[in-house]
Amino acid sequence: MAGWLHPGLVIGLGGLLIPFIPWQRVKQAYFLLLPVAGLAILLSTSMGVFGTIPAWPEALHKWNVGFLQFTLDIGRINKLSILFGYIYVIAAFCMNIFALGVKNDWEHVAAMIYVGSALGAIFAGDFFTLFFCLEIMSWAPFFLLLFRGTKRSMGAAFRYILWHHVSGLCILAGILLHWHQSGSIEFTHMPWGWEGKYLGSNLMLLGFVINAATTPFHSWLSDTYSEASPSGSVYMTAFTTKTAIFCLIITFSGVPLLMWMGAIQAVFALFMAVLENDGRRLCSYHIISQIGYMVAGVGMGTEMGLNGAASHALCHIIYNALLYMGAGCALAVVGTAKFDRLGGLYKYMPISFWLYMVGGFSISGFPLFNGFISKAMTIEAAEFIQRPIIYLLLEGATVGTFLHTGLKLPWNIWLQGRDEPPDDIRAKLNDSALNTPVHMLVGMGILAFLCILMGVYPKILYDMLPYPVEYVPFTLTRVFSITQMFIFTFLGFWLLRKLVRGYPSYVLDTDWIARITGMRFVQGCMDYLPAFGSFLDRQILRATNTVVAGIRNPVIEMKITPVAIGIGVLLSLILFSLYFVLRI
Amino acid sequence: MSPLRIYPKKLFWRLYYLFLVISLILDFYWLYAHLFHYHFSFQYLPQFFAIFGLFGCMLLILIAKGMGIFIVVDQDYYQKLSR
Repeated sequence: MAGWLHPGLVIGLGGLLIPFIPWQRVKQAYFLLLPVAGLAILLSTSMGVFGTIPAWPEALHKWNVGFLQFTLDIGRINKLSILFGYIYVIAAFCMNIFALGVKNDWEHVAAMIYVGSALGAIFAGDFFTLFFCLEIMSWAPFFLLLFRGTKRSMGAAFRYILWHHVSGLCILAGILLHWHQSGSIEFTHMPWGWEGKYLGSNLMLLGFVINAATTPFHSWLSDTYSEASPSGSVYMTAFTTKTAIFCLIITFSGVPLLMWMGAIQAVFALFMAVLENDGRRLCSYHIISQIGYMVAGVGMGTEMGLNGAASHALCHIIYNALLYMGAGCALAVVGTAKFDRLGGLYKYMPISFWLYMVGGFSISGFPLFNGFISKAMTIEAAEFIQRPIIYLLLEGATVGTFLHTGLKLPWNIWLQGRDEPPDDIRAKLNDSALNTPVHMLVGMGILAFLCILMGVYPKILYDMLPYPVEYVPFTLTRVFSITQMFIFTFLGFWLLRKLVRGYPSYVLDTDWIARITGMRFVQGCMDYLPAFGSFLDRQILRATNTVVAGIRNPVIEMKITPVAIGIGVLLSLILFSLYFVLRI
Repeated sequence: MSPLRIYPKKLFWRLYYLFLVISLILDFYWLYAHLFHYHFSFQYLPQFFAIFGLFGCMLLILIAKGMGIFIVVDQDYYQKLSR
């Protein structure tokens, strides 16, 4: 039997060679081949070339490596990791097509290391390997942000890495405490509770929750994803948060706190999205909202809830990349994705509009699009466990999702009731309906095809899920109720459409507290520390001068010496007495 | 060169009104024909999903606009603060 090759290593290390390939065409072909190689490994793995994959939650174990006194399990293959692996490499392939026009090779390198480390995390069988991969995953987007080269993106890069250091430290502390208590580093289900003995679990949970951008720790996502380059941000949408969801499914399924956090997050992000003026920031809030469904599904902990979370993570990667690409097209072609500056682009970019709309219908959960078959599963899981409030929150979030991604964003970028875009934007467009670069449309086209394929034929997805699926998505009740809900959501939008028009603004989020506190602290240091330093300097100089003058003047020295000796003796006596008393 | 066309406005509105009316009629018909199988009693209210969609959407916009009074600021709010 041939040895298993880790797809993460193939893609991550293979990516390092990209800048050293001198021929542009070969370089582009190689860049596209990397995820194809990963896909080939995954296909052969799931076909049983390296051994039969057992039923969930059992796993195949490949690549055990000794490290200190531990044995690291680098290749743990189970149904869930194969499912996530497939979607990571397929998404990476489409994203690579979208990013073919990028001139900076190092951006490709960062992206491939990002994909490789994400694959490393999902195939990790122990916490140390997981932590190592998560750390690499937090650095790769840092560079994707830096490579955009604007002042705002650099600021966002530093804020990104700070947030992920906090989450990384929480996870590391949790791992060490867990190891200290149980002696195990296996990446498996963790005990959870509010008591002190669960401190390690709670720290780890906090780390994963920050990585998954769960409210109130979601603001790093909306703040940073919109600042990367058009292709950089597409990569960022897929891997960090979904890997965190994968970790939550493995470690904290069935924690009721997560169910509530997820449901609240799904709705909360939508309120923020109403006020948003930037297309990509609006999509960021929708990542947060959709993650809410997954977190809620994990929190429910039932087979249907977990299947719903896993399938939604998978569908979400596809349609969200498509949405980001749609908004990214506008940014790449006319230089902005701000609503107040756009509108009327349909005439010049109709294909990107329709491909975007496939993503918009998918994320909203329209029947025959992939969001319907995964989102409905999570919502129905809430119905099965008789949680009406969770159900109403998740169903309400569906309304909001359609309002924003299906209506507000396309309306503001491509339509706004006008046939021509504003003059400054029009000047950047050719007299053609094909203003969007073809490679971008191809990347979007493949993703749109996948959205529809999974929506029409959900068996492809359901067969890969960890638990057996008996769920039938296309029931009369579900199809009718969601269709009617969307028809009337449109009516609500049309009546209030003037209120969702963009205007130049910025929406403050929960990171305001951290950013203002940090800013004030730095400002305070800059204002008061130099003054305090020079004050301290003056005082030390004065004291030194006095001592030096005293030493040089024997008269003063004679006056001081007996007093000093007396104080010294007294202090020694006190210390000796204390020592004596304590000893007794 | 691909020809330039605006989006099909008339077709869209005709289809929209058609679906709107059909959905209202079908909801009453299917509800009383006991074809729906819901989990909560409130879902059996006539036109529940139409009301939920319409008012959910409008409430979302109006509440968010209210929140906006406190949290919507100038575009370079943080840049100005850090100067």
